[in-house]
Amino acid sequence: MRPVTLCVNGSEQVLVLADDTPLLFILRNDFGLNGPKYGCGLGECGACTVLVDGVAARACCLPVGLVEGREITTLEGLGTAENPHPVQAAFIAEEGAQCGYCLNGMIMTVAALLARDSQPSDNAITEALRYNLCRCGAHVEILRAAKRAVQMTAQR
Amino acid sequence: MTEKRSTADYLAAGSQLVVVRDKANATGADDVEIFVIVSADGRVTAFNGHVDLGTGIGTALGQIVAEELDVAFPRVTVVLGDTERTPNQGPTIASETIQVSAKPLARAAATARAVLLARAAERLDIAAGDLTVTDGVVTAGARTVTYGELIGQERIVLRIDMAAPLKPVSEYRVVGQKAARVDLPAKATGGLVYVHDVRVPDMLHGRVVRPPYAGVDVGDFVGTSLIDVDQSSIADLPGIVAVVVIGDFIGIVAEREEQAARAAERLRVTWKPIPHLRDLTDIPTALRENPSTPRELVHRGDVEVTRAGVAQPMDRTYVWPYHLHGSIGPSCSVADCQPDRLTLWSGTQNPHMLRADLAKLMAMPEARIEIIRLQAAGCYGRNCADDVGGDAALLSRAVGRPVRVQLTREQETAWEPKGTAQLMEVRGGLDATGDVASYDFSVRYPSNGAPLLASLLTGVVPPVPMVFTMGDRTAIPPYSYGALRATAHDMAPIVRASWLRGVSSMPNSFAHESWIDEAAAAAGVDPIAYRLRYLEDPRAVDLVRAMADRVDWVPHTAPGTLGGEGDILRGRGFAYAVYVHGQFPGVPAAWSAWVADVEVNTATGDVALTKITVGQDSGLMINPAGVQHQIHGNVIQSISRVLKEEVTFNQIAVETKEWGGYPMITFPEIPPIDVLMMDKPEEPPLGVGESASVPSAAAIANAIYDATGVRFRELPFTPERVLAGLQAAGVAQAKPPAALAAPAKPAKPRGFWAGLGIGLAGLVGIGTLALPIRSAIAPISGIDPTLYSASTIAKGKTLAALGDCAVCHTAEGGQPMAGGLGLETPFGTVFSTNLTPDVKTGIGAWSFDAFRRAMREGIGRDGRHLYPVFPYDHFTKTTDADLEAIYAYLMAQTPVGSATSANKLAFPMNMRPLMAGWNALYLKTGAFQPDTARSEIWNRGAYLVEGLGHCSSCHTPRNALGAELASQRYAGGVAEGWEAPALSTLSRAPIPWSEGELFTYLRTGFSPLHGPAAGPMAPVIHELQALPDEDLRAMAHYLASDLPPVTPEAEKAAIATADARNATALLPSAGPGGRIFQGACAVCHAPTAPPLFGVKPNLAFNSNLHSDRPDNLIRTILRGVPKPAIADLGSMPAFGPVLSDSQIADLVRFLRRQYAPGRPEWADLDKTISRLRETSTHISQ
Ligand code: FES
Ligand code: FES
Repeated sequence: MRPVTLCVNGSEQVLVLADDTPLLFILRNDFGLNGPKYGCGLGECGACTVLVDGVAARACCLPVGLVEGREITTLEGLGTAENPHPVQAAFIAEEGAQCGYCLNGMIMTVAALLARDSQPSDNAITEALRYNLCRCGAHVEILRAAKRAVQMTAQR
Repeated sequence: MTEKRSTADYLAAGSQLVVVRDKANATGADDVEIFVIVSADGRVTAFNGHVDLGTGIGTALGQIVAEELDVAFPRVTVVLGDTERTPNQGPTIASETIQVSAKPLARAAATARAVLLARAAERLDIAAGDLTVTDGVVTAGARTVTYGELIGQERIVLRIDMAAPLKPVSEYRVVGQKAARVDLPAKATGGLVYVHDVRVPDMLHGRVVRPPYAGVDVGDFVGTSLIDVDQSSIADLPGIVAVVVIGDFIGIVAEREEQAARAAERLRVTWKPIPHLRDLTDIPTALRENPSTPRELVHRGDVEVTRAGVAQPMDRTYVWPYHLHGSIGPSCSVADCQPDRLTLWSGTQNPHMLRADLAKLMAMPEARIEIIRLQAAGCYGRNCADDVGGDAALLSRAVGRPVRVQLTREQETAWEPKGTAQLMEVRGGLDATGDVASYDFSVRYPSNGAPLLASLLTGVVPPVPMVFTMGDRTAIPPYSYGALRATAHDMAPIVRASWLRGVSSMPNSFAHESWIDEAAAAAGVDPIAYRLRYLEDPRAVDLVRAMADRVDWVPHTAPGTLGGEGDILRGRGFAYAVYVHGQFPGVPAAWSAWVADVEVNTATGDVALTKITVGQDSGLMINPAGVQHQIHGNVIQSISRVLKEEVTFNQIAVETKEWGGYPMITFPEIPPIDVLMMDKPEEPPLGVGESASVPSAAAIANAIYDATGVRFRELPFTPERVLAGLQAAGVAQAKPPAALAAPAKPAKPRGFWAGLGIGLAGLVGIGTLALPIRSAIAPISGIDPTLYSASTIAKGKTLAALGDCAVCHTAEGGQPMAGGLGLETPFGTVFSTNLTPDVKTGIGAWSFDAFRRAMREGIGRDGRHLYPVFPYDHFTKTTDADLEAIYAYLMAQTPVGSATSANKLAFPMNMRPLMAGWNALYLKTGAFQPDTARSEIWNRGAYLVEGLGHCSSCHTPRNALGAELASQRYAGGVAEGWEAPALSTLSRAPIPWSEGELFTYLRTGFSPLHGPAAGPMAPVIHELQALPDEDLRAMAHYLASDLPPVTPEAEKAAIATADARNATALLPSAGPGGRIFQGACAVCHAPTAPPLFGVKPNLAFNSNLHSDRPDNLIRTILRGVPKPAIADLGSMPAFGPVLSDSQIADLVRFLRRQYAPGRPEWADLDKTISRLRETSTHISQ
């Protein structure tokens, strides 16, 4: 256990932790964030996705020691219900979820995609989401939302 | 936090109109269930006992209430499924919410409206019939009055009037219109509190440890198999509050979640041997042998007689595998158990049933238990949501504080009550004219309600077989066959199983709709025309005809009409079904029909869906957008089940524990989906939550038949199954298995000191002849480190890093350099010594001379010989100046008192003087001598690599006495059980190492053309970070100096080959190991996968896959890379706890074939995997 400085959604906190603690637990339990979800703990489903220095990361199997001093952004850090990020707004408008448990991962993955390629092809969107699982079968609406997010980003 | 208002709280409030119903066994006037509250401030609250399973029923129910009350939809809030405040309407199953439980709600709203209108009529003095209402404002001419004004300060309580008039459909304004989902803004921004997000004050974290009989809940070993829980195995972990053991129930409570998780992984538990399960690799036999009771559902005509006389007998068997509910979020619950009261925050599908179960488990009256229902991950039936509630309640009771229990992915997957396997058998036949003469259908469905797991594990509920009669859904085909019988063979579950979307109806319809397709083909009639012969229900006929129009169905009487090209054959299949749900005979939900368009690859067996057209008659659609969403969801989930999904078992338990072993459909596989919604607003609304799943399997099977002429009667339609079927039917050429070289004999491990025993006798001889015991060097009383300049100390620090001093001389979790790390050798354990300047226990008493002698000759200050696990045969090459810098650095550290543990070596290795013999043979003392014929950079590299860097001590094989083989330098060796790959021309790297890549690797821990440092190399790279670029460049230069140059062309060609291998690794036809790769590994290892934090090691370049031994690969899979050399590389999770030996063997075999195709298969994989697993720590179930 040692003091670890974490910067989450722009605010900094020092926590005394074991280096190998998965970042996901810290975000949920110490920062009180609901966005990133526990789905598998193995990097397989994407439910826990956050951004680390703007790149997608699977927080469930990311030891906190590796992200010390880096900029961590969660779903909450993108936008709010009143002032959503374009990707969030697109998912709301297209109803890109059923139960919504996978939604965090979908939104964060699309946000990460748009951050590196603001005009991805349809194929690039599908490939970017290939490793995000959804049991409810909301894929059609999720893809529509992702495409709307591309348009909204272009219009900004 | 979630508000906790009870029915009484709601009733007590003033300024509102409440519509209630007396409870079933009401004890007084206030013992009621609330349906609707209209508040004077204009808000409306509606209550429903069902829960929102992610299907959007909250939105639809709100629309119904808004409609009947004549208020705007946004005014309505719907409260679902808490025991304290919603009506008990049974479990949320069988698509009943809209069809059944919405009815009283609509009447309640109508009751309220009627009373409010009567009041308005009185107030405005006008007949109620002349009033109009818009959004709660009642208007008569120019005069208006609001609902709020009509309620005023009063507290009005009404009983539901089930005769209150409902609006005619023609007047609907809200129902039938698209309503935006009310939950999404919060869900998309992290604002919604799922059950996983509940946090209550003083809350602790719990994890459970489950027994080895994963997923089995019947048999007298259930609840009685625990032998011992060794609490000392977690005694060193911080934060543990309690370990709770009751029967076979084990739970751990800790202050923090990661502490509970770590403890659950580590806790050592001993279980009795578990009896074998029925063999579930053969589902038909397992289900036929499972005891059952026949229940005749229908018998028209006499099937025995007609069957005897058929012209064309058609007996067929259809097989359905075990499926997962597969919620994306493993179940979670928070319990607060106080002596007189239990509060449970739960994602249950059945709050009222769960309360009864908990009452039994906790021996507490139901009235003292409150269940607060929150949203969870979509479950589509009974998953572990209830089970985890029992777990949380037990743990909270044990510690007297609220406890949150989160099941792991493995636990949810292995223990969830599965969607059961099912066996459908038809004895039937056609008469001479091709008509169906006889259809005798039977079904076996081994499933029940899955009793609460905690009750079974603690022995509160006996683990005895129980039978649920749920196999009868749509067991009667929708066709008017001449003679017809349907029989359900009711049976208890074999493994935990319970309802899953399309309960028994989906498999039954797979059989009905496949069989009629087979019959049509046998009769030489178009499949749709043939169905219409027997379909009497006019709405079904409408739907089938509308679908035929929608897809421009071309009638045909034989397969193959759609042709194809090359290996691809195209086909189109039809299926129709009505989902009959509820207790037999049940009620029909929405009618559904499918047309599936497929392309079958006859070379690989891959079935690609090119389009799904689905039609549905749902009656009145409350929220058509919601219905469409449901249809899409059903289509996608069901094609995933049909094409890909199957739970696997080992001899005693469920094997499937994660998504690699249970692949679900991914985005690139989603076909275009065209939805046809029949417009029937005048018909009552029907459940839409499951219907569109039901025809899926048969539609796809029929399409594959249409493409290939081959009939598949068992799910899932994996490429292996389809290819085997095509080959058996002669449609595809059976290919000889790819020519693979014979399995390689695994090379003997050439480990450090391995085989040392063979040479021992000789060594004893030499030892006795050689140098005598050496003299001690006088102790000093410590030195003043300020004697050394800061720059010397800094230099020493860098050199110590190069020498990896801290890697061996730091114990797990111990003080740096204080020693105590046990180094395993074939002869026992050598413990590293304390290198801090503590006079008593460290090297504080060592003069520089003593230190230099140790480094040069392997002799301790006291004259004792050191073991050559300490690489003094390399360190001897270090210059005096560098040795002194290291000495200065070590002496400048803070002293740590830490005595070195005694080595645990067997005779004669415990005799240190023998090392004198070893030294006489193999030690060439003396500092490095530069080769003047070589460049300066080469010499610098050689000095670093051969001296302090001691690279060859791992990368060179050793002889029987554990000394490096001079003749095979850098031919590869072993370090801590890992293979240290060859660095010479014997390297197996697919692209030979170049100086540039070596530098990149040493500098960053990762070479894109080779891979990351892992295993014992990770800490080495970590230490090397202290060295300047020039030194690492020199090392790379020296190491590459004997390697052939890599030409850009060769590199390009190798990259092209790698790309091709990576591309085919993602194909569906990659087989079971390939699917594990796709689901578990590819996200980080496929170069085409989107960037993620950390590197993407390209397996096509990885020399471990080309090695003679699979050890490094298997070790990495088992244990992952928890601690990378450098943070930027990212980490890899351990897959040992979640993949079985046979799954890992499949994966490893796949990786070898895929990425090292020229290399022979590894032999004895199973043995190697279990051996390497043994050496890892406790693996939780
Ligand atoms: S929870 Fe992190 S990927 Fe599944
Ligand atoms: S919406 Fe439920 S898992 Fe995707």
